[in-house]
Amino acid sequence: MNEIKIKSKNLNVYYGEKQALFDVNLDLNEKEVTALIGPSGCGKSTFIRCINRMNDVIDICKVSGNIEIDGVEINDKNLDVVSLRERVGMVFQKPNPFPKSIYDNISYGPKIHGKGETKSELDEIVENSLKKAALWEEVKDRLDEPGTGLSGGQQQRLCIARAISVNPEVILMDEPCSALDPIATAKIEELIDELKKTYTIVIVTHSMAQAVRVSQKTGFFHLGKLIEVGKTEKIFKNPDNKMTQDYITGRFG
Amino acid sequence: MNFVLIFLITIFSLSLFFYGRSKTKSISIEKNIKLNALPKFYGYYLVLWCSIPSLVFLLIWTLFEPVIIKSIIIETAANQGAIFNDKNEANLIYEKIKAIYAGTYFGDIDTILKESALSYAKFINLFTNSKIVLIFAIVIASVIYSLKKIKNNNKARDDVEVILKGLLFASSLIAILTTLGIIFSLLFESIKFFSVINIFDYLFGTNWSPQRAFVSDASAITAAEYDELKDAFGFIPLIAGTSFIAFIAMLVAVPIGLFSGIYMAEYASVKIRRISKPIIEILAGIPTVVYGFFAALTVGPFFRQIGENLGLTVSSESALAAGLIMGIMIIPYVSSLSDDVINSVPQSLRDGSYAVGATKSETIKKVVIPAALPGIIGSVLLAVSRAIGETMIVVMAAGLAANLTINPLESTTTITTQIVMILVGDQEFDSPKTQSAFALGLTLFIATLVLNYIAQRAVKKYREKYD
Repeated sequence: MNEIKIKSKNLNVYYGEKQALFDVNLDLNEKEVTALIGPSGCGKSTFIRCINRMNDVIDICKVSGNIEIDGVEINDKNLDVVSLRERVGMVFQKPNPFPKSIYDNISYGPKIHGKGETKSELDEIVENSLKKAALWEEVKDRLDEPGTGLSGGQQQRLCIARAISVNPEVILMDEPCSALDPIATAKIEELIDELKKTYTIVIVTHSMAQAVRVSQKTGFFHLGKLIEVGKTEKIFKNPDNKMTQDYITGRFG
Repeated sequence: MNFVLIFLITIFSLSLFFYGRSKTKSISIEKNIKLNALPKFYGYYLVLWCSIPSLVFLLIWTLFEPVIIKSIIIETAANQGAIFNDKNEANLIYEKIKAIYAGTYFGDIDTILKESALSYAKFINLFTNSKIVLIFAIVIASVIYSLKKIKNNNKARDDVEVILKGLLFASSLIAILTTLGIIFSLLFESIKFFSVINIFDYLFGTNWSPQRAFVSDASAITAAEYDELKDAFGFIPLIAGTSFIAFIAMLVAVPIGLFSGIYMAEYASVKIRRISKPIIEILAGIPTVVYGFFAALTVGPFFRQIGENLGLTVSSESALAAGLIMGIMIIPYVSSLSDDVINSVPQSLRDGSYAVGATKSETIKKVVIPAALPGIIGSVLLAVSRAIGETMIVVMAAGLAANLTINPLESTTTITTQIVMILVGDQEFDSPKTQSAFALGLTLFIATLVLNYIAQRAVKKYREKYD
């Protein structure tokens, strides 16, 4: 078992009057893929958005409780969100490349954090990120073309490359394959397998099969509560909780 | 008379609605058949059939009646020995005849006029009577036709749809035809102007002073007169003045409008937005003449005062004052439009930017604005076309003399100002001076048309990308 990278303690999230997460205690291991499953609206996405404080963007969202990364509390008003997000990258449900060139899409992050001061350094970051995202071979000859012109699967890998470009420690993926076809999905899953050697990955998914394929650890959420968490194998073969059993066998959700 | 007719037709057709509805109901019960539409559609069907043909006929009749009577009367007057050399004199006689008929003519009445007035009265009578008879005939014919139809259980719902579609089409046709009519009237008057003044002398002339353009006889302009004329209608100073003032206005409106749009879209809380957006849009509702005297009475003299204190000569009607006020007038357009385009940039792009650690202002500067740029350019172009077409402010604050200058403290003039100056007061409609107003109008129209087209293309291109 790897070391614990992220630790949430009694995490509660409210959207205005509505409570979206109830006392979530979840540990995520370093250099491992943790899958979060559960029916729509159960709080999986809300949970991962707490890890890079993306919920700050939403005015009515209030977060209480603790999240620690490497033992450092991140749910702290004084914490520098910019450097947190440098460490915790995110890939979204729908590919969202900027309406800029492929090159600019990747160099955007490093430039913001003042990395890659010379052109050649920047070129190197772009090339490495695209290589890690398994996109380099497909786009190396057209880096100046718009990122929005790529296919859906390529766009999503471009977004992964964009997340990698600032050299994070954690990558959050919010249903990264839900807008993609099976072939593109297979490529992304392959990529996730590769990336977990370097990064701690948290993936939200609606596909049980995907959770089984890519993750080592799985957490099941229902109505804002973490119902069960454990080794993926165990969750899918022999869950402790009746609700988990019902969900993974497709009896609800 | 017409109002009575319209009233009667309306009342009658509305009552037919109830008749048609109950009639078809009873038919369906009597014969035990299923109607092809709800009873009310048969009511609508009767109403439309009864009213539309007769009203359309009435409209056409009313349009053509005076024209036909006029030509008949003028002809009879001519047969009786009235002498007129051209169209204008014929019109004059016709007006006299009409005035005699109405009892408002106080000049001498000779036999020709008297006879003509009598025949005018006769024709008016005849036309009115036949109008009434024909309208009744049309109403009866169309009611009989439609009653027969509904008794045969026609597909009234489909028929009503077709008629309504036709009505809507006719309305849009009228809108388009009106626009075309305006364009053509501009075009024809401009062609008259350009048949006197060479189009190149107009487009590239650097001197605009139409008040010098006196001609003894507009139909026969001598070469010496033309030399004088072609120097009076140079377009360059006007387009320069117009662009210059519009440029100053844009210098004011684009930054302020854009920044306020960004604030509204990105930073303002729902509460602030709900209060401040209507307030900004109120600026767009202020009549331009109010801005005009604000510019002429407050801002112009204010600049002049400052200029004097600094030892500069500032004309009290300066391009700067007019442009500044025009810019303030345009702020809400730019602000509101750019607010809209920024709002329609998908949230996912902002999320993507925040997720790599960009701050809000970095996100706006590097992702949101570039993504919204085509739309923003579109809104700026719309604002430019608004600026060059703006009239009241420049009439009041920009001055009349066509100076070719780039000094914002001097007075300058614009296309719209000159059109107003030319057409205000008594005019001879065949002088090149008056016709030049139409040429200016046409030029302005083409300029704004091109700008609007480009702006719409830009906005559309942008919309396609995200919707």
